[in-house]
Amino acid sequence: MNRLLKRSLPAVFWLLAWALAARWVGLDLLLPGPLAVGARLAALAGTGGFWLSVGATLGRVFLGLAWGAPAGAALAFATHFSPWADRLLSPAVRVVRATPVVSFILLVYLWVPRGAIPWVIAGLMVLPVVWGAVSAGLDGLDEKLLELARAYRFSRGRTLALICLPALRPHFAAGLSTAFGLAWKSGVAAEVLCPPVQAIGSRIQQAKAALETPDLFAWTLTIVALSLALEKLLRRGLGRGNKG
Amino acid sequence: MIKLEDITVRYGEKLVLDRFSLEIPPEGLTALSGPSGCGKTTLLRVLAGLTRPGSGAVSGADPAKTAFLFQEDRLLPWRTAEQHITDVLPRARRGEAGRWLDFAELADEGGAYPAALSGGMARRLALARCAALGGELFLLDEPFAGVDPDRAARILDRLRGLGAPIVLATHQPQVLAGCDRIVALDGPPLRRV
Repeated sequence: MNRLLKRSLPAVFWLLAWALAARWVGLDLLLPGPLAVGARLAALAGTGGFWLSVGATLGRVFLGLAWGAPAGAALAFATHFSPWADRLLSPAVRVVRATPVVSFILLVYLWVPRGAIPWVIAGLMVLPVVWGAVSAGLDGLDEKLLELARAYRFSRGRTLALICLPALRPHFAAGLSTAFGLAWKSGVAAEVLCPPVQAIGSRIQQAKAALETPDLFAWTLTIVALSLALEKLLRRGLGRGNKG
Repeated sequence: MIKLEDITVRYGEKLVLDRFSLEIPPEGLTALSGPSGCGKTTLLRVLAGLTRPGSGAVSGADPAKTAFLFQEDRLLPWRTAEQHITDVLPRARRGEAGRWLDFAELADEGGAYPAALSGGMARRLALARCAALGGELFLLDEPFAGVDPDRAARILDRLRGLGAPIVLATHQPQVLAGCDRIVALDGPPLRRV
């Protein structure tokens, strides 16, 4: 009970602050209160379109992760083990990491179909983060264990499976966890700027255009709730994978 | 004969082996004895082909058929004791893991990860893994560090029973007493005394 109270008190505090601020503003168009937003969220959640948009956005974010994370890890191996790959590709990955997501969205808009933009962007945001994390793991590989592998005549495949991959797993997990938040935010941002047919970003864009501020808040709350829940699930899954 | 001829090894400015030569009979147990840092480990590493000498030649020891026990345990934190053994065994011999755990008196620790093993147990696991790897020559660097003397004597007997010649570096009098010959060393640079 005490724990529940400790956990819920900050939420209650912020809800109250939000309600007071909304009452002080007194205009739903500028700042709707939590009750108005909650009612709108409940109404939206009762429609099939809501779940279609949520599912489509989730699919794009996971598609971004699904190509960005392996590509980042593969690039990390390439740039770690090949000096030429390092010279050629590391600066390019750093440029991707430093480029603002909005610039990428507008550039990618010129090159790929609209429906593909969010997952391309999400993957582009994931790639350098996973690359950095896996590269740090590769730099930190225990030379003594690698020497053991040579002395004990392990094949390259066994060295990879028994020494490299287990040592890299915490780095990959940390990178993936950070990358997930980025994929989520950049994917939705891409949906807002280049709205596909079914997407949370498209619903946000429509709400903004129609000055439906409670809808805007309801969709934003949906994004935050989904992001927190999925990040927790991801951490739990990766944590379980790291045991032993 | 296992022969080292005019071997020179330098780590930066430090001369560890300076035109050092030694002949070791390819049978029984040979102990390399000497103070810490005199160059015993470097000598074993040269024999195992892990350290390339600046000059000189090694003969009678084929690195591809040598089992080397490092001075550190070098266990994998994510593998159980049993997996450490199966990792070095060919697929057809993976069922022998229990035998090698018995060899090092670790029969009850097969499912334990290195973090759950005491220092002596970890050392014995490293030794069991090296024994399971096998070869035509065993090179063991401080094989019984942290292992109680009675147990060390029993495991040493089992090692002898494997039939391959053993060259080991040690400080422990009980281990030295169980060897067929002792090469007394001092250094650096390494020299016989």
